[in-house]
Amino acid sequence: MTPANLEAARQTYRNIAANIAIIMRGQSDATRHLLAALAAGGHVLLEDFPGTGKTTLAKALARSIDAQFKRIQFTPDLLPSDILGVSVFSQRDQQFHFHEGPVFTNILLADEINRASPRTQSALLEAMGEAQVSVEGERRDLSELFFVIATQNPVEFRGTYPLPEAQMDRFAMQFTLGYVPAAEEVAILTAQEHNHPLNELKPCATLADVLALKRAVEAVRISEELKRYVVDLVAATRTAGGVQLGASPRASIALMKTSQAEALFEGADFVTPEQIQKLAVPVIAHRLVLEPSARFSGLTARSVVGDILKKLPVPA
Amino acid sequence: MKTPPFLLLAALLFWGWESGLLAVGALLGVVLESSRIIRARWEVADQDFRRLWTFCVLLALALVLYVFATNQAGGGFSGMVQGPGAVRNAAASSVNSATSFFRWLPMTLFLFIAAQVFSERGAVPLAALSTTSLIVRWRRARGDGLDERYVDVSYAYFIVCLFAAGIHPNTGTYSYFWGQCVLVAWVLWSLRSRRFGLAAWLGMLVAVVAIGFAGQYGINQAERFIGSFNAQWMARFFRQQTDARQSLTSMGQIGELKLSPRIVIRLEPRSAGPVPAYLREASYRNYQPQKSTWYAGGSRGDFSDVSSERETTWVLLPRKTNAAAVSIACYLNGWAQDLGAPEGLLPLPSGCGRLENLPLFILRTNLTGAVLGIGPGLVIFDAHYGPGATIDAPPDTGTTNRFDLMVPTNEVPALDRVISEMNLSTTNEIRLRQAMEKFFADKFTYSTWQGADKRATVNATPLTRFLLASRSGHCEYFATATVLLLRQFGIPARYAVGYYVHETSGSGYVVRERDAHAWCLVWNRAAGNWEDFDTTPPSWVATEGARASVLQWLSDLRSWIGFQVAKFRWGQTNLRQYILWSLIPALAVLLYSVVFRRRKKRAAPGSGGGPAVDDARPGRDSEFYRLESRLSGRGLPRASGEPLAGWLERALAEPALADLREPLREVLRLHYRHRFDPEGLNAADRQALARQALACLQTLSRK
Repeated sequence: MTPANLEAARQTYRNIAANIAIIMRGQSDATRHLLAALAAGGHVLLEDFPGTGKTTLAKALARSIDAQFKRIQFTPDLLPSDILGVSVFSQRDQQFHFHEGPVFTNILLADEINRASPRTQSALLEAMGEAQVSVEGERRDLSELFFVIATQNPVEFRGTYPLPEAQMDRFAMQFTLGYVPAAEEVAILTAQEHNHPLNELKPCATLADVLALKRAVEAVRISEELKRYVVDLVAATRTAGGVQLGASPRASIALMKTSQAEALFEGADFVTPEQIQKLAVPVIAHRLVLEPSARFSGLTARSVVGDILKKLPVPA
Repeated sequence: MKTPPFLLLAALLFWGWESGLLAVGALLGVVLESSRIIRARWEVADQDFRRLWTFCVLLALALVLYVFATNQAGGGFSGMVQGPGAVRNAAASSVNSATSFFRWLPMTLFLFIAAQVFSERGAVPLAALSTTSLIVRWRRARGDGLDERYVDVSYAYFIVCLFAAGIHPNTGTYSYFWGQCVLVAWVLWSLRSRRFGLAAWLGMLVAVVAIGFAGQYGINQAERFIGSFNAQWMARFFRQQTDARQSLTSMGQIGELKLSPRIVIRLEPRSAGPVPAYLREASYRNYQPQKSTWYAGGSRGDFSDVSSERETTWVLLPRKTNAAAVSIACYLNGWAQDLGAPEGLLPLPSGCGRLENLPLFILRTNLTGAVLGIGPGLVIFDAHYGPGATIDAPPDTGTTNRFDLMVPTNEVPALDRVISEMNLSTTNEIRLRQAMEKFFADKFTYSTWQGADKRATVNATPLTRFLLASRSGHCEYFATATVLLLRQFGIPARYAVGYYVHETSGSGYVVRERDAHAWCLVWNRAAGNWEDFDTTPPSWVATEGARASVLQWLSDLRSWIGFQVAKFRWGQTNLRQYILWSLIPALAVLLYSVVFRRRKKRAAPGSGGGPAVDDARPGRDSEFYRLESRLSGRGLPRASGEPLAGWLERALAEPALADLREPLREVLRLHYRHRFDPEGLNAADRQALARQALACLQTLSRK
């Protein structure tokens, strides 16, 4: 990986980010997180109140990349075969033919994922974990770029099922968009006065560009000491007070890879402690299961990770 | 500060006024209140608070040590460690140490409250206060998130001031009560609930103050009442501290005279020969049968000071030849109000002329031979004594006062009947005494049981009944009867009170409370001095001893432990000095660990440790660390979880460092590459890092 390749990858990132920024005003941090997960080969879970732009963000990303994009609207009666695909008997040649489900794509938008039952949600486990699906005893590989953006409403809302822990763990990052400032919101209104700008969004990166970006991220260097810091951070969640289930080694891997992506975005070719700290909360927090008593006393997974960040001595 | 304006100033002034440190109180108060005018604030990190708190605790510790080891009035450590004044100082300090520690609390804790008042946050982290508390430390280990809490300690400090003001020497006035009422009312006023009207609030306040005043007044009065309640039944059960002016006897009382086997005096002979049999505390001249009380008599019973020859040597009789010496250890159980120190009468052998190694503040004698000492609660001294002259005044047989020959008129008939029964022909005083001794030994028995037959009635005094009817009683009967009989013969005599020494213990002797004794002093006209004369049948010692409990060894052990504790408390051993010497290095170690352990921690951050991890940390030689410590020294320490870049931006926000911003950022970039890039720096960049860091250091040191 030459410096020129790194710079090209960085340019890809900048292009996509600029493209998304046309649609998503005031969400540069969320965009950066999203792209870090994409470049690191992880998946993203967006959790926020209805109407904050989760789906729009996902669609903007999909439109910005000249790649295959599919969406699944999760509903309570959705079945696993609706996601993975199903074999249909053809009268014409007296054979079963496999009809690929929406999971066979590059970018998959799983909208309102927690509206489906856990049974259906689990259909995504293998796809997200290993980029393959096994249907009717046959293994089928997914494409080289497989990126899931799931959105969900807060669990306490009506008509939602909580995601299983195993499913949560397969998301590299979870973050929220939040409400934008009033001035930004006015700008959003102005932009949509006549037409939704999303309809006019043009792709700015090819599939090959994104794959190159992924390879560039893998070339970002990280020292042994910082790997140790990542592991210590994740390990600390397993002993923290009020936590029933800590984060897994999968969290360590995700934190390292997303930090590498973040370093690349920042123009560095090695990881620094700041990048790890920046991504620790979105990467780790959603994997923690708090004790009910701790949850009732106001403890949140984000504050647990925040505390650990403050307490654990950072390499300097 | 949450406290209303000027409350802390008022509290500190009040404290200063009550404890005699008005100037200090005013100064501290003005400094604290000035924070309302001065707008400057400092950013005090949690760690600094922790350090300040540790410092305050150490200071308090050192203060305890100091007041414990020295006399406040002077002395100092050097005086404590050696020199004749050491024991005296130790004695005085024991009286003061407990109180002065609390009295100085507002000064000890001042730094901490000042740090809070002038800090930006205006509150202290709870974790800082908890560094000395194991419980909170344990809770922190469980991660209960206590670290995050901040508290305002100004009200706590206010309470400390009130508390410290309460520990003031001049009791008996109500100034403290009213002062604290005003201050507390002030606080309550600022915190009062608006739900209730002013009248209700004031009414409640007045009611509470009234209850408080009544309570305190009542306790005072009850204390006084009990103190003055001279009930005779109390005297029967307790051997009171001997009073040089009067001795209330238990003659005429019904019931068992019972005294405890507690060891009160220990003797060690310092010269060959026997120890003195009698240790006298006081003698009396004037008997009042109605009250069964002996009085020292007249204004001549007043004390006069004895000046010490050297600091611990007191000469009672300058021209006395002292043949023998004995070491006496005794307690001073009284309390001298004016000096604020224990006082008591010293039990001395007859003919005592010189006292050595006696660490008293003041020694006084009166004309009836009582020696009053004011000093530590326990004294161990050498009494040099010999036969012959005593410090007692010669008999007062003049024309105006005939105290030493005075016989109460209502006792005369009984005495005369006894004299006629003795049927004496001799006028030789020595013979007379022998005859009297024989008479009492033959016709009288010793008993501690006081039957109803010896009660005072309209017809007869207790002494009359003792002499004529029961012929049995305890030493007070014998001594009183003997004194009055001798006087009836025209021989001056006095009633003496003290202890009888008979029980050996190891190489010395012990005297128990039940060895308390009364006998008489008789004037030897030929020799011209007073002599001990005891007519109580010798069987009394055995009678008293027979009542000893089988568990006496236990009580003796308790007495011994008490004695050792008193010896330590009143500075009669070297232990105090040993403790002082051993505490100094301990304190030094503590201070060292507080100051240097932190530094070590900072030099080697990281949860891991061990060589394997150290190998994974390249670039620890970076010059940036010197810059970091220099910048931290400017008051912006980096928290352990804070990455360098964020901290550097925070530190560079200082306007004075504006021109250093770019160079420092560049140094940090190189430092990061040096530390975290697995490929590291090339030689040129490594040199650039060193060069630029040093340049920044030099610039910094000029600022």
